[in-house]
Amino acid sequence: MSGPRDVAAGRRPVIAGLGLTDVGKVYGRSAQQFAADAVRLAVADAGLQMSDVDGLLTSSGVTRGVAMSLQRDLGLTDLALLSEMQAFGATAGAMVQMAALAVQSGTASVVACVFADDPLKEGKTAGSAYGTRRAPSGWGGLMGASGYAGPNPLYALAARRHMQTYGTTTEQLGAVAVAQRDWAVLNPLAQLRTPMTLADHAGSRWVVDPFRKLDCCLVSNGGAAVLVTTAERAADLARPPVHVHGWGQAHPGRLLKHSEDFGLVTGAVASGAKAFAMAGLTVQDVDVAELYDCYTYTVVVSLEDYGFCAKGEGGPFAASGALGPEGTLKLNTGGGQLSSYYLWGMTPLTEAVIQARGEAGERQADAHDIVLVSGNGGILDHHSTLILSPHPVSGGAA
Amino acid sequence: MVGPLDRDGDTAPFLDGTARGEFLLRRCPQGHWSEPAASTCTACGSVELSWAASTGDARLVSWAVTHGRPDGDTPPPRHVLAVVELDEGPWWWTSLVAADPEALSPGIPLRVEFARAAEQYEAVPVFRPV
Ligand SMILES: [Zn+2]
Repeated sequence: MSGPRDVAAGRRPVIAGLGLTDVGKVYGRSAQQFAADAVRLAVADAGLQMSDVDGLLTSSGVTRGVAMSLQRDLGLTDLALLSEMQAFGATAGAMVQMAALAVQSGTASVVACVFADDPLKEGKTAGSAYGTRRAPSGWGGLMGASGYAGPNPLYALAARRHMQTYGTTTEQLGAVAVAQRDWAVLNPLAQLRTPMTLADHAGSRWVVDPFRKLDCCLVSNGGAAVLVTTAERAADLARPPVHVHGWGQAHPGRLLKHSEDFGLVTGAVASGAKAFAMAGLTVQDVDVAELYDCYTYTVVVSLEDYGFCAKGEGGPFAASGALGPEGTLKLNTGGGQLSSYYLWGMTPLTEAVIQARGEAGERQADAHDIVLVSGNGGILDHHSTLILSPHPVSGGAA
Repeated sequence: MVGPLDRDGDTAPFLDGTARGEFLLRRCPQGHWSEPAASTCTACGSVELSWAASTGDARLVSWAVTHGRPDGDTPPPRHVLAVVELDEGPWWWTSLVAADPEALSPGIPLRVEFARAAEQYEAVPVFRPV
């Protein structure tokens, strides 16, 4: 693979702008309006003009509300790159990868990558936002008729298999939720900032056993965008560039099929290995990890798959006190999707950029030289990995 | 127990099977079994798949328990969703009947049966511990 080290230093990709709208129970804006707001914020953050943007990659959430007509809404003309992208929770990372390839090849010079969603409708419960649509026919309809609605039961089945195979416990899952809440308490962007305990986790209602309410991510309205450009272009922009050192994707393609790995090993193994190889780094080099956490279990299995602990040891690792602001591994430092906000893969990506810049305030990790970002989509079936740093990629081509 | 279901072109042959009490799988000329929704053989890539009846015997791979809303003093209704492995190999995402969630463990034997939400709807496979 040709990564940033294979191109001239000036052409290497960086994230130069970040835009995050108000998130959570924010009403009166459509997904497409959130997306436009997020791009405008990212452009202003970078100290650029909208007319500097010549690439636009869009990603929609559950409402499928962001279209390529966002170009028109933003007044963008004569783009060199424009596409909708979809790899579910892996899309944010995949968009940055596409943008990085575009800027280092010269296909485009400033690429906006944006996600927005508006699943929450005023006066309706969060539960009605996801998973209650049932197809009355087709294979999807057959799953619906069999009792399946939305992703919760599918992830619960994966988690049960992990628990049965490795002895992972609900208390260990609870430790993930508590650690991330401790981070969210420090994060003014987070939706849930009231401290919680393992007893709160154990007392929260079952959603689908083995998941309690506090094992499951939030539902949020909002939008987020990043601007990707070259190191050369970013040198005189407003904000410190966040350099993209490596990336990878993996799509195992065994969704709902017989898979010995189901629930036990995910595409993060292959996606992570590719990203570390490109960056010339290993998991030991990671200072801050922002891992997709649609459920507490997703964190446990991802910790194993990236190599932060041995396979099957994710639960004991989480319960050991390794996580949280006082822990040894700075993981999901904004509170993640469980406690901060749920913008699919933009949740880990936005927090990673904030941490890499050293602008996370009370929750800033002291060491933030290497920041890992993991996206996960479908039912553990789509993965993307980014390795980010405030420092330029060293070595390689002149 | 099961929800309403109509057929479409993709599922019609499978639902013809459930209507007569058979759980159909796809089979290639070499005899590999694939799941009902497969259009390519999982083992050899053949696209010449035909329908063939499974024995309907399966083993439990994983399960999850949904909890309905409590109604007065009645405990909330529980429903067991499951991944099962047919004896022929393919997996199926289904629900269990007459299953005590506390008595489940990976590998326990199951057998298919069929249920309809109402007479006008298609028969849906469910599995019962044996
Ligand atoms: Zn075959």
